[in-house]
Amino acid sequence: MSKLVLRRLVSLPFVIFSITFITFVVGYLAPGDPILTMMGARHDQQTYDRLRHLYGLDLPWYQQYANYMSGLVQGNLGLSFRYQGRPVADLIGAGVSTSFTLGLTALSLSLIVGIPVGVLAALRQNSLADRGSMAVMLAFYSIPSFVLIPIFQWINYQFFLRGWPSLPVAGWGKPEHWIMPVIVLSAASMGYIARLTRSSILDILRQDYIRTAFAKGLTQARIQWIHVFRNALLPIVTVVGPSIAFLVTGAFVVETLFAIPGIGFVSIQAIGQRDYPVIQGTTVILAIAVVIMNLITDMLYVVLDPRVSVKA
Amino acid sequence: MATKLASPAIHESIAEKERFGLLRSFWLRFASNRLAVMSMVGLILLISVAVFGPGLYPQNANKLDYAAINAQPNAAHWFGTDNLGRDTLARLILGLRVSLIVAAYVETLNILLGVSLGLLAGYFGGILDVLVTRLADMLFAFPGLLLAILVAAAFGAPVTERFGGIGRLLLVAGSLSLVSWPLMARFIRSQTLVLREQDYVTAARSLGASDFHIISRHILPNVIGLIIVSSTLDVAGVVVNESVLSLLGLGIQPPDPSIGKMITDAIPFLENNPLQVFLPSLVLILIVQGVSFFGDGLRDAFDPQTLP
Repeated sequence: MSKLVLRRLVSLPFVIFSITFITFVVGYLAPGDPILTMMGARHDQQTYDRLRHLYGLDLPWYQQYANYMSGLVQGNLGLSFRYQGRPVADLIGAGVSTSFTLGLTALSLSLIVGIPVGVLAALRQNSLADRGSMAVMLAFYSIPSFVLIPIFQWINYQFFLRGWPSLPVAGWGKPEHWIMPVIVLSAASMGYIARLTRSSILDILRQDYIRTAFAKGLTQARIQWIHVFRNALLPIVTVVGPSIAFLVTGAFVVETLFAIPGIGFVSIQAIGQRDYPVIQGTTVILAIAVVIMNLITDMLYVVLDPRVSVKA
Repeated sequence: MATKLASPAIHESIAEKERFGLLRSFWLRFASNRLAVMSMVGLILLISVAVFGPGLYPQNANKLDYAAINAQPNAAHWFGTDNLGRDTLARLILGLRVSLIVAAYVETLNILLGVSLGLLAGYFGGILDVLVTRLADMLFAFPGLLLAILVAAAFGAPVTERFGGIGRLLLVAGSLSLVSWPLMARFIRSQTLVLREQDYVTAARSLGASDFHIISRHILPNVIGLIIVSSTLDVAGVVVNESVLSLLGLGIQPPDPSIGKMITDAIPFLENNPLQVFLPSLVLILIVQGVSFFGDGLRDAFDPQTLP
């Protein structure tokens, strides 16, 4: 175990404390009495007190936070305000797996497409293929997802008009419904990874050890795969972490616009219903998932680059 | 001698620097970047449209014209109308205004909070530094827009009920600033850490200068470039993020227009009326790219080595 990963592990409790504490405080400070809203017109003091006790809102704030944390450890995210007495975990349970499948598929796609495109562009530097693919990747990176969606849908519609194979516009459940959301979600990180791969390979091609390898008479293929590619992979691994953070915001937009019943969609619906415990639950789950993914990325980095464990 | 002959332009600009001072040499360096100058002109145009547009273009942005639903561009509605018969150009101008006002609020907050906390933390160190960096780290723990979404969701409805549209605008700006001031504080802090060890700071201190004098006269002028460049570049992100919040229903509330909401509201009518989607998209991309190129130009024109 390297010091880098160890340092991350030590700071993990602090990060998780920050996430849960800030989410809790924001909810605690939010104006309005959720129990009053929940009861609406049928107000009587006895039920009010009973509900307040059920939700633990009669306790002082530090005790509420302590209860929240002990619940969290047991996988209990509290109770929904909107659906009286229903656990939040029940409401978002199904959405969690949908969102994570969506996110991981998008991340894989951005790596599977981004890296080869970057490699090919670098090896054919300044060719038409290089210029063209990099322009597309720049567009993917810099056009926000909610603008990419109508562009793709419009292209899809033109295909449909001409009787060419096209994708379904709406709906959820069949495999073909995944295609467009996954492409849109992966676009930003795909563009970023492709451009980074290209510049990282070009950088390495200029190194002395590559010239040495050529001078030794190694074959082009061997140099490209053994000397260039492995070293070029390092900076790419470092951006996987930030890409995951990209995906979280992207998931909110993509799930909302495609009506995908994931965690972001559930969260946005909960916002409309002022169901704070659900919003709190999705925030905590997403943030902690990103922390864990970052930790995995760091471990991967240590495996790939032996220098890190010595230096850090 | 050889270098002198090889680069007469540089030599000339140094000579001019002596003659006309810093501002002029700054402008010369900035103007050598054509894309940045073009972006600056474009941004000035967009800002003037946002400022003067509503006065010059007579259509009401929220008026429903049922006789002209999903209309194509014509003499009365220059950019056509949306699915409720509202004038697209009028809405676009107001949406642009919202984007720019939110961006201005966010950057003001970032500068007030991020710069002052970063300066204090970097200059004084100690417990103050620990507190500021820990607070920034806590806010950094949230990926992407998650914290802004959370805050806008928790306070959105009550704030709108009590303070109306302006309150909502300030809340959006405040929640977006929560995810960007820590970055500003981090930049300024690390730069201040370097600057406070400089000889001229030690010299000033040995002459009996107060902390306030050193910060305001010796450190602040040296981070001005960093502040201007990073807050300019940040505007691109803020404009997109404001759109995201609005389309998620957390930003500007209907019927008031926001560029993000205009785009997503028009998506169901994409087949009949693609202009209603692509015109706001184009404006958004123009702002974002314009700000980025302009910011890059500024960065290169300031001392290129000390900036990120």
